[in-house]
Amino acid sequence: MNRFRDALGFLAIAAILLLISVLLILAVGSDVTKAFSSFLRGIFGSFYGFSEVLVRATPLILAGLGVAVGFRTGFVNIGAEGQIYLGAIAITVLGLAAPGLPPVLMVGLAILLGFVFGGIWSVVPGILKARFGISEVINTIMLNYIALNLVGVLVRTWLKDPSYPYPMSPMLPAAASYPELLSPTRLHAGFLVALAAAVAVYVLVFRTPTGFEMRAVGLNSRACHCAGIPVYKNIVLSAFISGGLAGIAGVGEIAGLHHRLIEGISPGYGYIAIIVSLLGQNHPLGVVVAALGVSALHVGSLSMQRAAGVPTSIASIIMGTLVVLILARKSLFGSTVKLVREN
Amino acid sequence: MPLLCMRNIDKAFFGKPANLQVCLEVQHNEIHALLGENGAGKTTLMNMLYGIYQRDAGEILYDGQNVAFSSPKDAIAHRIGMVHQHFTLVPTLTVSQNITLGLKSPGHPFPRRRDLNQQIQEISQRYSLEVDPTALVSTLSVGEQQRVEIIKLLYRDARLLILDEPTAVLTPQESESLFVVLRRLREEGHSVIIITHRIPEVMSITDTVTILRDGRNVATVKTSETSEQELARFMIGRALEPIGRSAAPPSCAGTALQLSEVTLVEHGRSKLGPVSLCVDPGKILGIAGVDGNGQKELAEVILGIRRHSAGSILLGDAVLDALGVMERKNLGIGYISDDRHHDSLVLDMDLMDNLLLKTHTEKRFITHGLLDRKKIRQDTARAVDAYHIKTSALECPIRYLSGGNQQKLILAREMAGQPRCIIAFQPTRGLDIGASEFVHQELLRLRDAGCAILMLSADLEEVLDLSDHIAVIHKGEIMDVLVNQDIDLTYIGLLMAGKRGDERGAVV
Ligand SMILES: Nc1ncnc2c1ncn2[C@@H]1O[C@H](COP(=O)(O)OP(=O)(O)OP(=O)(O)O)[C@@H](O)[C@H]1O
Ligand SMILES: [Mg+2]
Repeated sequence: MNRFRDALGFLAIAAILLLISVLLILAVGSDVTKAFSSFLRGIFGSFYGFSEVLVRATPLILAGLGVAVGFRTGFVNIGAEGQIYLGAIAITVLGLAAPGLPPVLMVGLAILLGFVFGGIWSVVPGILKARFGISEVINTIMLNYIALNLVGVLVRTWLKDPSYPYPMSPMLPAAASYPELLSPTRLHAGFLVALAAAVAVYVLVFRTPTGFEMRAVGLNSRACHCAGIPVYKNIVLSAFISGGLAGIAGVGEIAGLHHRLIEGISPGYGYIAIIVSLLGQNHPLGVVVAALGVSALHVGSLSMQRAAGVPTSIASIIMGTLVVLILARKSLFGSTVKLVREN
Repeated sequence: MPLLCMRNIDKAFFGKPANLQVCLEVQHNEIHALLGENGAGKTTLMNMLYGIYQRDAGEILYDGQNVAFSSPKDAIAHRIGMVHQHFTLVPTLTVSQNITLGLKSPGHPFPRRRDLNQQIQEISQRYSLEVDPTALVSTLSVGEQQRVEIIKLLYRDARLLILDEPTAVLTPQESESLFVVLRRLREEGHSVIIITHRIPEVMSITDTVTILRDGRNVATVKTSETSEQELARFMIGRALEPIGRSAAPPSCAGTALQLSEVTLVEHGRSKLGPVSLCVDPGKILGIAGVDGNGQKELAEVILGIRRHSAGSILLGDAVLDALGVMERKNLGIGYISDDRHHDSLVLDMDLMDNLLLKTHTEKRFITHGLLDRKKIRQDTARAVDAYHIKTSALECPIRYLSGGNQQKLILAREMAGQPRCIIAFQPTRGLDIGASEFVHQELLRLRDAGCAILMLSADLEEVLDLSDHIAVIHKGEIMDVLVNQDIDLTYIGLLMAGKRGDERGAVV
């Protein structure tokens, strides 16, 4: 019965979204069929298009996993964006400081360092929350601004490439790159890293005693305290892992795509990751699926813009509406479904 | 024509019936008891009447009309009101704000508070439900909060009131004043359905009793034509055995739990006076006292949930003062809290996970660093068997178990693994007589096995029945410790009221 209600709710959401897209497409004066066909062709029509979906999904999966791990323990991490940048700083510093490292070691160390940098960025609000009860929501957001501007300062000063007038770091050594998977597409091994991280998070959260403690703390921290489960330790730990995963996302953007530190490596991945985690119901598998979906939405809308002249903003509008509908689903559709069933 | 007639009601959860062909008839001007073991389906039946759940089959006639409420709002509109087992007041609002919450009072959205308070005062005088409309709910005692819940229903003009285990959280005195209110309600033309596990209460205030067992009707009888024994038999299918507290076994050497001069000061206020107590292995020390006199503090200080400010706590030879909760539990202390939803259970986790709260670090459940689901399942299945826990599945979130079955799971968890000491705080709150009997037997069994038990209970009878020694607590201080033999009840009553032995002559 509940399944039925759920399914109906999601169908209703899909219908509403479709309706809104049609209206928007008509409003900008485009042809609906052309728009939709170019949307689908953008995603499935070419090898390149499809690989782009995976490329964009990579940071979303990693950061989304991070947000999900935090949510499970009751740590609301809005700071994935900043943590992504910290990961990017980590690999840049490593690549420039030790350019002679062999590739395997370099990439391994970069991931580790990115994890630690991102983790530290989120463990600070984690400690403030666990020890003093200060809202992590505000603190993580504030740290986003600090991280963004920290990158701005770094690429103009210590990490600046002296041979160019632009604010960016020198190219990193080739050893600091993820292998390409499907040349000539941009797909890189970061996608595999993301999938591996999803498996690791699943095992950690659902199979280990530590993950059990983290979940329990997220659901009832008082009972955990009474049972002797250290609430403080678990919040701090989950904050660290949460930020660390987002940090790895930042490492991947540099190692897989940009190969140097620049401003704006993330078009808001850290914020979209919150949506991804929400859509994926904080479950690793859900996060992977949601990240692919969100990424496909974006790639499709790009193609729609090219072929049918529909602005890509439509993708953002759809995503925003989707989140509102999902959050309001229970109260919106619960009663209608009941009505339908009773008649 | 009866006020309410529920006929052949069916309800199943996940394919498991909670109500099967249940019938209930409530007359005008009647106090009707709904009696039954934990998990018999009482709350479920009431929730269907109140529109929280929808029935699978059957019909409800209310005032001669066929009704199907789709929400509590609907039910309230038909003048039916329910006070849940767990209250639903907003602690940061005043009594009067809570009562009018969600209603469009005259002057909405700027209600004339003074007029409303006047109205509330009238209701509270008419039914002798004393309460100050301007007080903050967070400052009220449990008994007062319950009065607010009842006024809330009367303010909405309820004619049929449903009270789900109203006395489970009340002191005997508070229960008495609740009954005065209920009788008053009956005189004023209301009908009341009351769910309770306490048979003496049923005998003293109800007119009719309907008994459920395993989701089915067992009987409906007039209170005047039945007896406590018969009701007990209806309820659990057999007669109740009196607690046979045998003499405690000769105590094993030494002391198990010892508190010396333990104090607790929080925010500059003394919560626990210097307390010195000791419990020997194989003995039960009962702590009697009016609820809220430092029992919770005492229990939590021993467990390490709160840190005591001075003094020292020993378990056997081990000094507990510097240890955390987990370390103390690993030394063999089990804890049964009085507030299971907040302190003992993670409601959204299933039975297996709730048992794991204590055992998730034990080697036997871990293979290659991962939790071994199969072993955990087996262990849970064993506990469910041994403690007769009624559930539709091991994967069922504990939220959906009846209160009594939740408590049994906690017992199974805390009593596992031969504990050396059990802190049992209101261990039978909300339990049916059969389950209470079971808990008492378990406590006695552990005692005979050499476990030291500290039992804190507001139910004096329970303390008298089980304890080898009785200590009386008042305002965080131990008034006296007595051997449980030929106890002078007036003396205990005086101690509970804070009058010391040396003042006794003066008072009497
Ligand atoms: N929402 C639900 N989902 C699944 N099972 C449920 C749900 N609500 C109740 N049950 C099951 O239905 C049975 C009856 O539960 P109910 O709460 O009505 O018992 P009760 O008679 O009120 O017991 P208690 O005296 O312990 O409160 C129990 O076995 C319980 O596990
Ligand atoms: Mg109940």
